[in-house]
Amino acid sequence: MNQAEEIFALSGIRRTYQVGNEYVHALDGVDLTIHDREFIAVIGTSGSGKSTLMHTLGFMDSPTGGEMIFEGRDVSSISRAERARLRASRIGFVFQAFNLLPRLTVMDNVTLPLVYSRNKVKDKTARALKALQRVGMEHRSTHTPNQLSGGERQRVAIARALINEPRLILADEPTGNLDSKNRGKIMDLFTSLLDEGITLAVVTHDDEVAEYAERRIRMQDGKIIEDTAGGAKQ
Amino acid sequence: MNPIGDIINGTTNGLAEVWTNKVRSLLSMSGIILGVAALVAMVGIVQGMLTNMRASFEMSGGILRLEVVPRDAPESQRHIAGISPGMTWRDIGAIQKAIPLAAFVTAEVDMRWESFIVGGRREFAFLRGVSPDFIDIYQRELEYGRFISDTDIANKSPVIVISSRVRDAFFRDEVNAVGQQIRIRNQIYTVIGQFAHMEAMVGGRNSLRWQNRMNYIPATTAMARYKGGDEVDKIEIMARRVDDLPDLIEQVSNTLTQTHRGIQDFEIRTQEEQLQEMRKLENSFTYSLGGIAAISLLVGGIGIMNVMLASVSERIREIGVRKAIGARSYDIFIQFLSEAVVISVLGGLIGLVASVGLLSLARDFIPDGESIQTVPVNAMFYGFAFSTTIGLLSGIYPALRAARLDPIDALRYE
Ligand SMILES: Nc1ncnc2c1ncn2[C@@H]1O[C@H](COP(=O)(O)OP(=O)(O)OP(=O)(O)O)[C@@H](O)[C@H]1O
Ligand SMILES: [Mg+2]
Repeated sequence: MNQAEEIFALSGIRRTYQVGNEYVHALDGVDLTIHDREFIAVIGTSGSGKSTLMHTLGFMDSPTGGEMIFEGRDVSSISRAERARLRASRIGFVFQAFNLLPRLTVMDNVTLPLVYSRNKVKDKTARALKALQRVGMEHRSTHTPNQLSGGERQRVAIARALINEPRLILADEPTGNLDSKNRGKIMDLFTSLLDEGITLAVVTHDDEVAEYAERRIRMQDGKIIEDTAGGAKQ
Repeated sequence: MNPIGDIINGTTNGLAEVWTNKVRSLLSMSGIILGVAALVAMVGIVQGMLTNMRASFEMSGGILRLEVVPRDAPESQRHIAGISPGMTWRDIGAIQKAIPLAAFVTAEVDMRWESFIVGGRREFAFLRGVSPDFIDIYQRELEYGRFISDTDIANKSPVIVISSRVRDAFFRDEVNAVGQQIRIRNQIYTVIGQFAHMEAMVGGRNSLRWQNRMNYIPATTAMARYKGGDEVDKIEIMARRVDDLPDLIEQVSNTLTQTHRGIQDFEIRTQEEQLQEMRKLENSFTYSLGGIAAISLLVGGIGIMNVMLASVSERIREIGVRKAIGARSYDIFIQFLSEAVVISVLGGLIGLVASVGLLSLARDFIPDGESIQTVPVNAMFYGFAFSTTIGLLSGIYPALRAARLDPIDALRYE
């Protein structure tokens, strides 16, 4: 692998919660560099800080300490509005619980990020159909989420994450609510996105799912205790 | 940032939200609907009443009219009060001659109830002796014939101008009663004119009903036939302009002091008091209506706020999702605020439609309904503007609460 461009560079990142008089260190000094076109699996026991890391990378949360560089720019303490702008335009997020809006159609769910990114796309529908095609869901654009199976919902959620053409997709246990057949389909989809040039970071509890990734990060107590960076499997 | 796009977007989303929650939206609108409907309907009814009140005031000469009535001489002059001739026909002449500011002057000689006989039929009616200027002061309209003239005054002619009531009583068959004869106290009077019926409804009654019952003969005829002297009961004077009033009052006072040989046995009354009363009534209506409207719209606003707060807590996850995919706090704020505004604007519009319905009903059921405006534009404008403002204000707090939510907390919310 060539020396790929750095998307993220984290050093000494902390995220500390105060609960009463106790301090919980959800992230306790994380050093991590994410390169373009990587496929990273984040594993670790429950409560080890995987989701917190993803939220931090996804600009949904800000670190309470450390330095975070995104595309060459220090983003350790940017404003809420700026974080919203980055969420809307630079990063796609996929959740375990899909998090589609139940009252909107598949089409409206997928185009919603275009509204918030203020992306001046002429034909939003065509753009959304293209994203739906990438996940194989274009035939369901007029349905509502509750008319879809779990696997289908997750594919729609991935289309929504793709609509603004982000470089990086973050997924927090995307297959956690799916059976093994659908799990395989989603992971195949991720692999194809990788081929299209998208960088992926996926949290998983499932060793089988982790097998898809070239790089694995293991977390424990808010720290990275193992990182296969450089010496990828397969 | 694109505020117009945001408004259009917010409105369409707000409408969609209202449409998906029809019943809830309607319930939350009900306060605003009732508030606006009640406000506009009440203002419409009251405005109708006030308009008629003003009309009847203007029709009796308005603020320009002065009344001079006899009264007891003051204590200090009581012992010499006998030197005053009292209020007499000569006073009329003196005023007409000496005071150019007095545009119109009439005497009033009151006969009250008299029995009128026509061809063996008898009716009681009011009779009063007046001067030719009377018709100019009261702006009465004649349906047929003419009013009392200077010649009638000079000749003490036995002529009468009859009311619509007397015409209806005796001369139903003839449209035009001019030339007919009426016997009053063994004197035959010839009808020379006939008044048009007048109407101005105030609180369910015709405030001009007395004028439809009054019949007039020359003041000189009345004095000669019934009083046997030259005393008059009242003098009415009309000024040309409001600015003339102070001078006119002073000149009348001076003139009458002279004709009454210095005895202050008369009183000059202005319509100022009546005008003051009318203004007071208008103000009290305005304030009480405004208060009721403010309270009901406030209650409407609280209703909207309540529903919006419920809607925010119901949709915490949705807010989390929207924020996670890039919505800024501002976007969420606008989303919920537009929903509140859409609810209040729709409520206001429904309220306006309801008010037109209420006013049309009121026209049919309230006795003087014809005077009610079904579309009081001003009240509608203010009612609508006020309700929209209330909706906007009551939407701010819920929208702020929604906007302030942290995306992760919101997503975690079950
Ligand atoms: N809002 C919060 N307040 C206090 N502590 C928190 C909060 N959010 C997370 N934590 C704590 O931070 C730690 C890391 O949580 P996180 O959700 O990142 O774990 P995780 O690795 O994703 O676990 P899981 O596999 O169960 O999803 C946990 O100990 C959790 O209790
Ligand atoms: Mg987690």
